[in-house]
Amino acid sequence: MNKYLIRVVLGLLVASSLLLAACGGQPMSSPQAPAEPEVEAEAVELRVWTHQNIAFNAGLEDLAQAYMAEHPNVTINFETFDYDTYIQTLQTALPAKTEADILQMFGSWVCSYVEGGYLAQVPADVISLADAQAKVLPAPLGGYVCDGQLYGVPQEYNIEYGAALFNTALAEEVGAAGYVDGWADWDEFIADARLMAESQDGVMTRAGFNFTGSDGIATMFHSLILQYGGQYLKDGVYQVNTPEGVKALELMKLLVDEGLVDPVLFNDEENWVGDSYFDGSSAIGLVGPWAVPEYSGDYPEVVKVTIYAPLPSVGAEPLFAAASGWGMSVSANSDVQAAAWDFVKFAALDPANAVQWNLASGTLPALKGNVSGANAEKLVTEFPYFEPFLALLEYGQHEGQFPDRDFVWYEVTYPRVLNFLQGNVALEETLKTIESEVRDSFQ
Amino acid sequence: MPKEFSLARFLGDWLRHPLRGRDAAEKRFVAMTVSPLLLYMAFWTLFPLLWGFSLGFFEYSARRAGGPFLGLGGDNPFVGLQHFQHMMNFAPDAPLIVRQFHIGFKTTLLFAFIVVPLNLAITLPLAVLIESVHKQLKGLFRALFFLPVLAPSAGVAIMWGYIFHPQRGLLNAIIGRFAGKLIGVNWTGDPNLIVAGVPVALLAVIVAYLWQDYGYNMVIFVAALQGIPQSIKDAALVDGVNAWQMFTRITLPLLSPTILLTSVLTLISAFQVFDIIQIMTDGGPNDQTHTLLLHIYSYAFRYQRLGWAAAVSIVLFLLVFAISLVQTRLLRTEWEY
Repeated sequence: MNKYLIRVVLGLLVASSLLLAACGGQPMSSPQAPAEPEVEAEAVELRVWTHQNIAFNAGLEDLAQAYMAEHPNVTINFETFDYDTYIQTLQTALPAKTEADILQMFGSWVCSYVEGGYLAQVPADVISLADAQAKVLPAPLGGYVCDGQLYGVPQEYNIEYGAALFNTALAEEVGAAGYVDGWADWDEFIADARLMAESQDGVMTRAGFNFTGSDGIATMFHSLILQYGGQYLKDGVYQVNTPEGVKALELMKLLVDEGLVDPVLFNDEENWVGDSYFDGSSAIGLVGPWAVPEYSGDYPEVVKVTIYAPLPSVGAEPLFAAASGWGMSVSANSDVQAAAWDFVKFAALDPANAVQWNLASGTLPALKGNVSGANAEKLVTEFPYFEPFLALLEYGQHEGQFPDRDFVWYEVTYPRVLNFLQGNVALEETLKTIESEVRDSFQ
Repeated sequence: MPKEFSLARFLGDWLRHPLRGRDAAEKRFVAMTVSPLLLYMAFWTLFPLLWGFSLGFFEYSARRAGGPFLGLGGDNPFVGLQHFQHMMNFAPDAPLIVRQFHIGFKTTLLFAFIVVPLNLAITLPLAVLIESVHKQLKGLFRALFFLPVLAPSAGVAIMWGYIFHPQRGLLNAIIGRFAGKLIGVNWTGDPNLIVAGVPVALLAVIVAYLWQDYGYNMVIFVAALQGIPQSIKDAALVDGVNAWQMFTRITLPLLSPTILLTSVLTLISAFQVFDIIQIMTDGGPNDQTHTLLLHIYSYAFRYQRLGWAAAVSIVLFLLVFAISLVQTRLLRTEWEY
């Protein structure tokens, strides 16, 4: 009997050790430990999670080195993830409480994680909401404000409309000169873009203006509604089946009908705007300035002849919808929230450090103070194509809080508008469908 | 004569008489060596299955803080059969998520029922041809035709994406050479390209899938062909059959069990197609290649509707199970030789 008991116990021990080995991984951090002020001399380890973007992470690591030099007791460790993997990692790690202390966030995601109680509010001694509204541009800040509270700090201004990649060498080749003084209206723009488009045997081989990517279509559609004097999201109600929505789609269809782009051949799946512009199959491309550093390594000759040309506005002001931008939040589960927020403040709220990161990452500034003055000059010197954007930033409006902005942009707006532009569905039905599908997503 | 060992009988005896009898020591030894593996599988296979199954009855999102038990309840409420009820909503104004489910269901069935017969129509004759060449070349041909199976699916999808590219693709270049002009057909992105009611984008994905997959069934058929006794073939030859009669009256009937096996495996695999479609078309154009697995992935990981995605997974499981049962029943054979 004793021998039998010993064998049973040994067998259970073997089974348990196998299970524990299988479960081995990062240690679980203690749940919901309240943030307490750390004694400066106490060793602190900060874990930072970011998505994989070489320029972004190089800039952040430089700031981390500078911070650690000033705070020798702090060690900052980075873990990076492929974009799609990062989203899934956040979704599994946050409920499991295995996430890092500092989480790189895109503004559109923040409020959905706040809903789950996963993100910490920005302490007042880091920055109050009122101070943030005074210091940070409204469009990037908008993504980090949930129910009137601040849950992170943006580092960049994500802009996907307002100005477009423009190949000056191609323009000179074909005699398109309207861009030099800026296009006064869409007719002038169309004239230039039509010259720059190219077809062979009825097949478009170079788009004059490639705006039919998912971000381009969704942002252009919503921005045009704003420029025409409408509001697509009013008091929490989404409305695009309006006169302004009609005008927005009519203008976009005009660009297609004038031969600027073939939406069947140029869209997210084929000839995506970033690849297409830099490989020469699009003359003008609607994509944010983040694309230039991404492609500069492989296409330096194209970058040399590229500017960002401001698009014409149909309204008195060049209003546009902006999706906030990348920034940093702190986990509500972190044991070292004070140190984490201190680093966030150092990296994102100090104008010199913030612009250093913008310079490294090739992104537009989120801080109002960096849109003009010496810091702005540094940005323009390094990235001359930033100049038209800096003049536009004040006109950006945060796109608004959707229950799932990615669903609205990529599952509804982009495919429906693309289908309309391809000539497969009528304008009225397109607007009606977009409005009803987006409203369903609010339920 | 000793009875043939049966694990089921062994476990049954063990459960009835676990620690008694002359085989008690043997039974204890087996229990202790097998139990760690069973525990491992229970944790990594059974628990996730049960978890996934349960999620289908909740409105669950990883972003919301739920109840104390595994995040269920609270802001992730129990909704019972609500997801399944929504799936039965065929109204034209049903929510997009429901309409996409219906599209995914139809597309998955269409994909599977095109792939299976095409796959068999390619692999079986190919296997017969390989078996008919000189034995020194058989190995070479088997290896060559099996190579695509070893290629990573992402690479296959990217390669076929380039072949189908509208302006720079190989297919349009070949057609253009014959036509004498530039051809700009967007094989994977034009929603108006439909042949016999089947979107060309779906056919393009099927071509890529078949190219990667056919080698697998081919080697199974080659092995099965090698198992047919030569004496039967010799007897048939003596009776004066020609090659076609040999194939249809001797080879095919004797391969029935293998055909059943390959068709079931191919069907199950086709129902789970994901990576090739996600990379080549991402469900487009206009959801024409939107399959159930892509639907599950999108709503689970892009839009955080894990409860709905789990419910669709249950439906997919039942669909595969039901069709496999029907298939096994229809293609069942009593052939022995």
